[in-house]
Amino acid sequence: MSRIVVVTSGKGGVGKTTTSAAFATGLALKGYKTAVIDFDVGLRNLDLIMGCERRVVYDFINVISGEANIKQALIKDKRSDNLFILPASQTRDKDALTQDGVEKVLKDLTDDGFDFIVCDSPAGIERGAALAMYFADDAIIVTNPEVSSVRDSDRILGLLQSRTRKAERGENIHEHLLITRYSPARVASGDMLAMEDILEILAVPLIGVIPESVSVLQASNSGVPVILDKESTAGQAYDDFVRRFLGETVPHRFLEVEKKGLFKRLFGG
Amino acid sequence: MKEQIIDLKGEMSLLTVLVLHSGNMHSISTALETKCQQASQFLERSPIIIDCQLLGETGLELDFVELKLQVSKLGLVPVGLRNLWEEAEAKALAAGWALLRPSKQQPTANIPPVTEVNLTPEYPEAVQRLLVLDRPVRSGQQVYCPYGDIVVLQHTSAGSELLAGGSVHVYGALRGRVLAGIQGDIQARIFCERLEAELIAIAGRYRLLDEIESNLKGQSVMIYLDQEKLKIVPI
Ligand SMILES: Nc1ncnc2c1ncn2[C@@H]1O[C@H](COP(=O)(O)OP(=O)(O)OP(=O)(O)O)[C@@H](O)[C@H]1O
Ligand SMILES: [Mg+2]
Repeated sequence: MSRIVVVTSGKGGVGKTTTSAAFATGLALKGYKTAVIDFDVGLRNLDLIMGCERRVVYDFINVISGEANIKQALIKDKRSDNLFILPASQTRDKDALTQDGVEKVLKDLTDDGFDFIVCDSPAGIERGAALAMYFADDAIIVTNPEVSSVRDSDRILGLLQSRTRKAERGENIHEHLLITRYSPARVASGDMLAMEDILEILAVPLIGVIPESVSVLQASNSGVPVILDKESTAGQAYDDFVRRFLGETVPHRFLEVEKKGLFKRLFGG
Repeated sequence: MKEQIIDLKGEMSLLTVLVLHSGNMHSISTALETKCQQASQFLERSPIIIDCQLLGETGLELDFVELKLQVSKLGLVPVGLRNLWEEAEAKALAAGWALLRPSKQQPTANIPPVTEVNLTPEYPEAVQRLLVLDRPVRSGQQVYCPYGDIVVLQHTSAGSELLAGGSVHVYGALRGRVLAGIQGDIQARIFCERLEAELIAIAGRYRLLDEIESNLKGQSVMIYLDQEKLKIVPI
């Protein structure tokens, strides 16, 4: 059986697609056969961040409407043989996304022997987001350290508990909180919520804290998931997160304001 | 122009007030249905207060049983009536309505306390008397137990709602809105481990967090009705 993981948030622009790309890449590099699906119909994005936008022939909607089969639509990642991307449609209407269609695609992937299926949810709580979470076994709730994002995540947690197949069967989705764009300096100055405050409000197990880092933008501009940037703090934090997801115990890092040494202060860096 | 039958007015973002312009049950239900279609997202499961001020003595003709039925059928939660013509009150109470205190700006009318007439609402048979939740109640979620108590073993979030015919117990932070005794049971109480609620109400008497003495915020408290006043005491 494949394990279906939705990356969701409610609020837009918090780092779901960045996370989906890093997560799927990380799982694949650890040897798991992984598919990552872009549910953001109309706002294709994942393929850009994965650096495969020029190889898109068929998309998710084509498969759902029977215009292509799943094998034709999956794009094999150029860096890992275990990783496949199913892009969203750029042009089609959101209504083309149906529950039966999504179920069929997930079943095809399961039959194909995928270990993990990562669903990159669109923002909001409408159709796309609802379907991205509906069949999930696990949910990564992506939250930024600000009140509106935390509130939206709370809302999403409510939906995960009621509007998913697991919930309808009386089972629970595994919830994992991932805090992204965390800036210890801005937490210290009171501009942002601290990790402890977020945990206090949401009461969900924490799976990772990804620091704010310029390397994220650089990575997406060059189409290389940031987890592959081993030098960057964000890349390292994403790697920690994947390992925790796979069951390892890994201490959290990058939570404190970095103290620059005298050398660094004098010569930059 | 069509004659206006009803008005919907949001008060304090939670308790929607339905102002009746007519006592005719048929016109009310049609108008209400239209409103609900227009704003289904907003109105779904929202507690509603019915204001009868404009009806005057025609309020006597209202079919209170039918009114309650219609309101519930549309997915709204009937909380109570206010500004009702005095003579109609007994009839309303008999139909299971709670009578609410008029809002503050109006002169206090001579409303008999609910106690004299209908202390404990009659419970339909085989209804849920206790609802126990072992997960947090999240923003946007509403828990509704019209004839029983609600017990939450975790926290409730800002933007959530608990609606109980009986009492409410929250073994964690209470951050959302909470309405106990929504059928008019003035003996209903609210207990919580940490009071951070946005709004509290018992049998239609409500208070906002801003109105609560700051030394009680964050405390373990019990909330009950003492005469017409909501009392909050530490426990
Ligand atoms: N850790 C981070 N540090 C700095 N910038 C980040 C970080 N994570 C994400 N970003 C930036 O935030 C923006 C939004 O990221 P992303 O597209 O992943 O969000 P999203 O939640 O998928 O958005 P949408 O809701 O539109 O789908 C991008 O510009 C991205 O580079
Ligand atoms: Mg996205």
